[in-house]
Amino acid sequence: MISPRTTPALFPAAAVWLLVSCHASAQSAGHEAPAPIAEGRAEPLGVVGRRIAAAAPGDTIVVGEGVYHEHLRIDKPVSLVAEGRVVLDGRGNGDVVVITAPDVTLRGFTIRNTGTDLDKENAGIRVTAARTTIEDNVLEDILFGIDLRESPDSRIARNRIGGKNLDIARRGDGLRLWRSDRTVIEENAIHDGRDAILWYSSGVTVRNNTGLRCRYGLHLMFSDNITITGNEFAENSVGIYLMYSTGVELVGNRLVRNRGPSGYGIGLKETDRFSVRGNLLTGNRAGVYIDGSPFTSAKPGEFTRNTIASNDVGMVFLPSARGNELAENNFIDNIDQVSVAGRGTLEANRFWKGDRGNFWSDYSGYDHDGDGVGDFVHEPGTLFENLMDKQPSLRLFLFSPAQQAIEFVGRAVPAIRPEPKFTDEVPLMRPVPIEPAAPADAGNRGGLALAGLAMVGIGLAALRAAASPRGDRLPRSSRTARPVGAHA
Amino acid sequence: MNSAAALSSHADPRRLPPTVLSNVLTIGKRELRDAVRSRWFLLYTIAFAALGLAVSFVSAAGSGGTGLSGYGRTTAGLVNLVLLVVPLMALTAGAATIASDRERGMLSYILAQPVRRNEVLIGKYLGLLGALLACIFLGLGFCTLVLAWKGQRTSAESMLWLGGLSLGLAAGMLSVGVLVSTLVRRASVAVGTAIFIWLSLVFVTDLGLMAGAVALRLPIRDLFALSLINPLQVFKMWTLHAVDANLDVLGPAGLYAAEEFGARLHLIFGGCLAAWVLVPLGIAGVAISRRSPL
Repeated sequence: MISPRTTPALFPAAAVWLLVSCHASAQSAGHEAPAPIAEGRAEPLGVVGRRIAAAAPGDTIVVGEGVYHEHLRIDKPVSLVAEGRVVLDGRGNGDVVVITAPDVTLRGFTIRNTGTDLDKENAGIRVTAARTTIEDNVLEDILFGIDLRESPDSRIARNRIGGKNLDIARRGDGLRLWRSDRTVIEENAIHDGRDAILWYSSGVTVRNNTGLRCRYGLHLMFSDNITITGNEFAENSVGIYLMYSTGVELVGNRLVRNRGPSGYGIGLKETDRFSVRGNLLTGNRAGVYIDGSPFTSAKPGEFTRNTIASNDVGMVFLPSARGNELAENNFIDNIDQVSVAGRGTLEANRFWKGDRGNFWSDYSGYDHDGDGVGDFVHEPGTLFENLMDKQPSLRLFLFSPAQQAIEFVGRAVPAIRPEPKFTDEVPLMRPVPIEPAAPADAGNRGGLALAGLAMVGIGLAALRAAASPRGDRLPRSSRTARPVGAHA
Repeated sequence: MNSAAALSSHADPRRLPPTVLSNVLTIGKRELRDAVRSRWFLLYTIAFAALGLAVSFVSAAGSGGTGLSGYGRTTAGLVNLVLLVVPLMALTAGAATIASDRERGMLSYILAQPVRRNEVLIGKYLGLLGALLACIFLGLGFCTLVLAWKGQRTSAESMLWLGGLSLGLAAGMLSVGVLVSTLVRRASVAVGTAIFIWLSLVFVTDLGLMAGAVALRLPIRDLFALSLINPLQVFKMWTLHAVDANLDVLGPAGLYAAEEFGARLHLIFGGCLAAWVLVPLGIAGVAISRRSPL
């Protein structure tokens, strides 16, 4: 029997057991669980290291210009501030800076040359304590960039993180949070890394960052109540991949040219209570990829006022995607605007909200009553698109006349016209304003004009060759051959 | 002076002795001149340029006035146009050349001059290729100028690639046309055959392959390999590969090709097109040398 007196003692025990088991299951979830921190080798303290050793908690240590070949361990709450260009060089082994005390600030350093050991997860900056501020640093030639482990309430701002130029399988994460709730990540620029990834971290804000040529520009794993605004992720494998997370606000981000076998601007896997608003997705293999989201029926998946343009496929729905609501989005010139992977339907998703649908660049109806909404429902789906959805390998024949022949037949012969994929009952006649603005891309007008002139020039040169004086002696051959000697 | 006089002028001892090159050039020039002045050239050039300009204007004006002009979309539209028009041009031009000369008696007349049959063949081929070059580059050049004027994001390199590869496609199809022309006696039959070949390459082959892919569940490897047989597909894939540097727009088969061959794709596509130039021309060379009554 459990007496009232022993019950309180059981609670901590249960809590500990829960924590341990959770942690164990997380560890077994995959290789992504952080590796144990390697004990620093007994390296004599360097210039900066000795100053940290001598400092009192709360001190500010200003480090002067220079290149320091040191591995730092910051084990007391101090601020480390670089003055001028201060380089911390890891000599190609181990972590460069390890922060083990809470309330540390690290500002303005150039940190480079970590080891390349994926098992030890060599990092530019490794943090294992709360309330850390990491600002204005440049990380170059690093395996992992900034690695936060159980460092809640931290702030990562204005850092530039560039990974080692390794094969994607041998890279580390540019930025990783592990159980670091309420951290703010803003205005960082990450390139050539693996992922910027949030593990089991809730209440995180990700604002105005850029990610270029990584695997996943931003990756959420089991992280709840996350705000992601104003970021730009370009030329990654996936721009933003949300997995197994609940409560995600995705607003005003730019997802550009994320391509390759995955190649999604935004991917959602079993994510719940999410809102995707005012994002620009362009040039991706697929703008949005939805698998099993929303995960419960608690709240419809919201897609509002996004601009999905010039992607190979605008949105890919797996049959498991149900309960999404799309309204006032611009679907512009995607080769395939919306596709259903496999044999499912889109019936469980809605393409309008109230009396506002979406703008479809391929809508062919008109607006007689002038209310901004097309008078006919939008029921897309050409025969070739239909075939492509069922048999993706047929994409090989895109842009060929045979494709157009099939689409023509599909339109002309009602008997084989495919079922519409979905219906937008109130399609918009004009696109909603695009926000954020399209990425500034100068577009080389001069070069294009020059190329045009060159081509016209080559064409004219060929014509001139035909009319050159030497050619003048050769008259145009007539219907019948004239005898020799018919000189002019 | 007429062509015969020009050709026979090589016999003039004061001039340099005729070489293979000078013979080929003389014949080529005559062919180019004839072609440029002919109605088909004018018609094709106007049609090609007009359709190309239409594609350029539409793709520039498209995208709902959002300024998000398509990434590669314009090129895709132009690729589509080239696929339809250029093979038709090249095949019919090639098919008409020797057959019609033969019909008019011009061929035996030219061959009475001190030139080899293969020199005539190659000269005619190069002359027509020059005419096609003028047609393609004028058409695409004007399109490029329109795109620049409209502030399109298409890159200059992609248009140059498109022009060059279109010429490559024309070279291959012209070679097939010339082969038809050497084998078929009458010009009308030759042109008819050329149009039939054009139809097969444009529609029948692809539709057949699609049907095969669906019915037989062809593995993507085989599908990609089979698609290399069709020079039009090769041109299309090569253009996309050169312009976008990725073939993933073509789905699993394109991804497979990009992953498997990477940079070697240029060699593969180039090899396929080169084969389409050299093999038919080679057969035509053998055929024209062996035929005793021309």
